[in-house]
Amino acid sequence: MTIPSPGGPAGGDQASAVASLGASSQVQADQARISWRPSRHARRLLTLAVAALLFALVTRNPALAGVAGPPLLLLGMARVNGNGRPERLGIRVGLTATRMYEGEPAAVDVSVADDQHTARWSFEPGRGIDPGSAVAVNGPAARFTFEIPRWGKRAVGTVTLSLHDRWRLTEGRVTFTLPAVDCYPSPAVQRTEVVLARLPNRLGEHRARVPGDGTEFNGIREFVPGDRQRAINWPASTRRGRLQVNTFAAERSQDVVLLVDATTDVGTPGESALDLGLRGAAGAARAYLNGRDRVGVITYQWGGVRWLAPSLGRRQLYRIIDVLLNADTGYARGAVFSRLPRAALPPGALVVALSPLLDGRFVEALRDMRERGFALIVVDVLNTQPPVRRGFADVAARRVWQMEQQAIRFSLRELGVPVVPWDGVAPLDIPLAPYTRRPLVTRR
Amino acid sequence: MTTAQQPQTPPDGSAPGQATGPARPAPPRTGIASAVGARLAAMLLGAASIAWTATPLVHKGAAQFALTIAIIAVVAGALRLAFTDIPQPEDRYFLPGYLQAWLMFLGLLRTVPWEEVAVVALLWLEIQHPARPWHTAALGAGLLAYLLTTHIAESGAEALPLLRGHVKPLIAGACLLALAAGFAMIPTTSPGAGSAILRVLAAVAVIAAAALVLPG
Repeated sequence: MTIPSPGGPAGGDQASAVASLGASSQVQADQARISWRPSRHARRLLTLAVAALLFALVTRNPALAGVAGPPLLLLGMARVNGNGRPERLGIRVGLTATRMYEGEPAAVDVSVADDQHTARWSFEPGRGIDPGSAVAVNGPAARFTFEIPRWGKRAVGTVTLSLHDRWRLTEGRVTFTLPAVDCYPSPAVQRTEVVLARLPNRLGEHRARVPGDGTEFNGIREFVPGDRQRAINWPASTRRGRLQVNTFAAERSQDVVLLVDATTDVGTPGESALDLGLRGAAGAARAYLNGRDRVGVITYQWGGVRWLAPSLGRRQLYRIIDVLLNADTGYARGAVFSRLPRAALPPGALVVALSPLLDGRFVEALRDMRERGFALIVVDVLNTQPPVRRGFADVAARRVWQMEQQAIRFSLRELGVPVVPWDGVAPLDIPLAPYTRRPLVTRR
Repeated sequence: MTTAQQPQTPPDGSAPGQATGPARPAPPRTGIASAVGARLAAMLLGAASIAWTATPLVHKGAAQFALTIAIIAVVAGALRLAFTDIPQPEDRYFLPGYLQAWLMFLGLLRTVPWEEVAVVALLWLEIQHPARPWHTAALGAGLLAYLLTTHIAESGAEALPLLRGHVKPLIAGACLLALAAGFAMIPTTSPGAGSAILRVLAAVAVIAAAALVLPG
């Protein structure tokens, strides 16, 4: 799997992407048992021969018996020459990737170790798999490209090998079920980060307000014994007549917890609130992990809450996406975040919630979290509204719904929780811009 | 369903089945014209077989019924070949009525063995006419050509290599057709049912002998 460049994996030349898929890793290779049987063509020839012979005997017409001659000759010769049909054949099936992002091309490679028969491969894509090339290919080796337009665990489908003798009257057939692949949500573009004003005392890359051993200039103070001589600021010392040393800002990291609301999935499939939430969470996870922050994830979903404790590194990104992939839409049974262990929600962590704010209990949980002193930012991923209808009751209901949504967002802002709308198309940096320019100060 | 031809050996030159490198993406088949040509040829051969068998028109119930069945079967077979590339959708529960009807029609086209029905109907139509040996032999050649062309059209096989492999049995089959027609033209020395059956059995024996003797 390749990490898509900012802008999404769907961009770029599709043909060049397919050409650069590279070698496949073997997922299945064995001596497959082939079942041989007469082909459709053979059955037709047999029908012609039997019908002609039957009519010849009934009508006592030798000319009709002659009609049965050519098909019987063909069938007989195929039978005589069919002794070399192998019972088992070496077949290799490989996939270029078992984990991929939405819209990222992948391929199935198939080959058979047999040059005696004419081989034909046909690919039956599974549900939610878009074939990117021909789905039926003649030859001993073939490559079928495909892509998955929407995240999830998907069964790639089946590949069927049909072998024919030189007369194409006998065919051998074997079908392979391809393994399921994980399709990850395409991460949103995010280059900047929201940084807390108060950072935990842990080495990182964010400039803290307190002096430390970082590289960014913080100020000047008088020299005290023990200071390093290389830190002496000679121009300032000359002006003041006493030795002055440069001080530098400490560099710290922060804990970031991504909170994904999977209780409601409204909108068009592929652009729904849950799609946006998962893509936003994946993009944010990548951005904060690139900034050497510890990132964890909590999904609020059917069956309660799933969480992954904050940690560092590229491997954590895939762990987070794996947790996101298991997000199960449905009615949450009122999970309470106060019951989460300290490891899942460390004190002083920055919480980035991605939610359409349609579930009242999720909103209550956010308020509860804010009252416990967490720094919260809500990315509003609701990008759909009830349909416009002309009836008075419909118009009134739509208006009430809109006012209710505005009230929810207003109440959160009043609590000091920024709510930023995101349409899923623009980079996440744009709605978060007011909070990425300076450290986020949280009132307790 | 889209079809394509693939090189017979893996692009890295290794033996088939041991290919570890990426196989080349399958190039499209020689052109859509080749597929269309084979389908058109199958339809024309079917129509020609009907016309050949139906003339002169016989105004008997069985003959007209056989002719109707043959026409329906040949047309349905041609439609099946023409609609080969149309895929069946995974979910058909929420489709509108006209689409469901269309899919049902496609399913019917793909389920019934139309070519077999056409062959039997044409042979039945042929026996409604008075005995005409050379006409019947030509019909046999036409029906075989119809089945071969249908097979080429639906399998995507290259026509020339396939026919090249069939040359010997086809020549032998043509000889058998001529021989059987000749048998049928010999006037019976002693009239009666027994002599006619003997001639048929002789023709069958020649066919069996040829099938056993002819090398592969």
